[in-house]
Amino acid sequence: MSFLVRSRRGALVVFGLAAVTPLVVRDAYFLDSLVLILLWGALSAAWNVAGGYAGQVSIGHASFFGIGAYAAALMVTRFGRGPWLGMLVGVVLSIGAGFIIGLLSNRLKGPYFALSTIAFSQVLLIGVSRWRGFTAGGEGIPVPFRPGFATLGLGHVGWVYMALGAALLCYRVEVYLERSRIGYQLAGVREDEDAAEALGIPARRLKVFAVTLSAALTSVCGSLWAQYVGFVDPTYVFSVDLSVRFALNAIIGGMGTALGPYLGSILITSLETYLRATFSGVKTGFAGIYLIIYGTALILVVRFVPEGLAGVAARLRARRAHA
Amino acid sequence: MDPARPLGPAQIDVLAQLAVATILLGGIYALIAVGLTLVFGIMRVVNFAHGEFLMLGMYLAFWTFTLYSADPYVVVFVSIPVFFVVGLLSYVLVMRGVIHASHNVQIFTTVGLSVVLQNVALVAWSGDFRFVRPWHLSTVLRAGSTTFNLTQVVAFLIAVALTIALVAFMKWTHAGRVMRATAQDRDAATLMGIDTDRVYRLTFAIGIAAVGAAGVLVAPLYSVYPTAGLQFVLLAYVVVVLGGLGDMLGAMLGSLIVAAVEVAGSYLFGTAWKEIFYFILFILVLVFRPAGLFGQRGAETLGV
Repeated sequence: MSFLVRSRRGALVVFGLAAVTPLVVRDAYFLDSLVLILLWGALSAAWNVAGGYAGQVSIGHASFFGIGAYAAALMVTRFGRGPWLGMLVGVVLSIGAGFIIGLLSNRLKGPYFALSTIAFSQVLLIGVSRWRGFTAGGEGIPVPFRPGFATLGLGHVGWVYMALGAALLCYRVEVYLERSRIGYQLAGVREDEDAAEALGIPARRLKVFAVTLSAALTSVCGSLWAQYVGFVDPTYVFSVDLSVRFALNAIIGGMGTALGPYLGSILITSLETYLRATFSGVKTGFAGIYLIIYGTALILVVRFVPEGLAGVAARLRARRAHA
Repeated sequence: MDPARPLGPAQIDVLAQLAVATILLGGIYALIAVGLTLVFGIMRVVNFAHGEFLMLGMYLAFWTFTLYSADPYVVVFVSIPVFFVVGLLSYVLVMRGVIHASHNVQIFTTVGLSVVLQNVALVAWSGDFRFVRPWHLSTVLRAGSTTFNLTQVVAFLIAVALTIALVAFMKWTHAGRVMRATAQDRDAATLMGIDTDRVYRLTFAIGIAAVGAAGVLVAPLYSVYPTAGLQFVLLAYVVVVLGGLGDMLGAMLGSLIVAAVEVAGSYLFGTAWKEIFYFILFILVLVFRPAGLFGQRGAETLGV
């Protein structure tokens, strides 16, 4: 766990608090929020591997989330096996899908790449919605709750640690990308691909690697999410909104920083939970109001603080060090 | 259809009907797509919120029809100045600040705008599916063996007229020439004394006016709901990429191709699967001809 201590006090505080909370707080509602904060944070960190570290901005990461969610749900309901096996199958499928998307990124840049990832998630959405015989189509699949670790039927406390595990996994990968040779090479590719290639960095292979890795991590979190929420349906798990959400947390927290996605998730998920409680009586529900705020936040953050919360924190620290 | 069988009168009838359907659909798609391609070509911004302005146009048609029983095909002429102003406001409030920013900033600014507009519609008008049913929707026209309803034909004619007017505007007016000059070389245009900020403002307003009008036109043909724009905008991306981003004539041809794929796909495999065909077509085009069927190679690797 040395990746937590060396000059990473922020991460130690965030993950430490998450680990201690269930020992003190027993409120189910609060623990549920905590699980969601950790899971959304882990998903945004997974997105960050491709979007932040490799500069391959995807608006179709819901593809991998949906693959993971469906693999776990179908493994339980159709094949009567455990969700862990489903998670593994999901990872294998997502590696395949991520590899294809990664290859696309070699030919397409910026908006073109973003568009192709949206199209990919839409193809999956339509395919899963229409293939009724196997996936149950648009109705979705309720995932049965069977207590036990093997079936991922955990209580709230158990889920906090499960989500924390996913969060630490994704964080560990991010830290690796900051410290390792591959990470430095990726940063080179992100900043100037031609210059990186001229230095002999295999830019194309690295981009495919980053996108595939990001896809696999997203899929793992998708499988966990399906078991936690207990229901998957195609219009949610493959939606563009979901893909935007992964990106949003990372952008607000700070793209290309390890802790940024978690900071973004803390802010956005708490905001959502708070607004859900406040506006639950309003007739159109909280969803619209919450999303208006979140869209406005996205516009304002990319415009005025493109480096995100983590970037602002780093700037303040630097100023203090100077003074 | 069994391709081995010789074409009898029945098959020819089917083909004629499919061809007419393709052309009618293509005309409307063209109007949706030209606004997107115009904004891209001149401002170098892919507007991910394009579909939401279409959705707002659909709601304009719905409310004017429901409250004042106004015919959508009269409202369409009112919608053009209305959406021109909406476009101006969106440019001034949102787009101006990011016009020189990186692609990522532009992508997420327009994505954010799309999320906001969708949910303003959701909060204001709820998520219910709404329908606009003017009298001409049930008027069926026959020409030879083909049939289609009056609404589709009028929508097609207005869409084509507006698209042609826009292309003519770009080609023959002074403002159009200035806009094309800015598209070709932003810096040189500035040196020639062109106020690029004004050009972008005008471009965005025109692009939004076109898509807003298209929204009013399609309202009677589809259901109206807050995320209605998504299906059209994805299709408009396909059209625009096929035709080459920024190429207006390419977009018109691209519309016909997408319409043909959609019509043939629905006929052969059923409407449930129709969207999957143009997304697969989209990915294939992105992979093999990312600069469009007629575009220059290499545009896509410049990251625009």
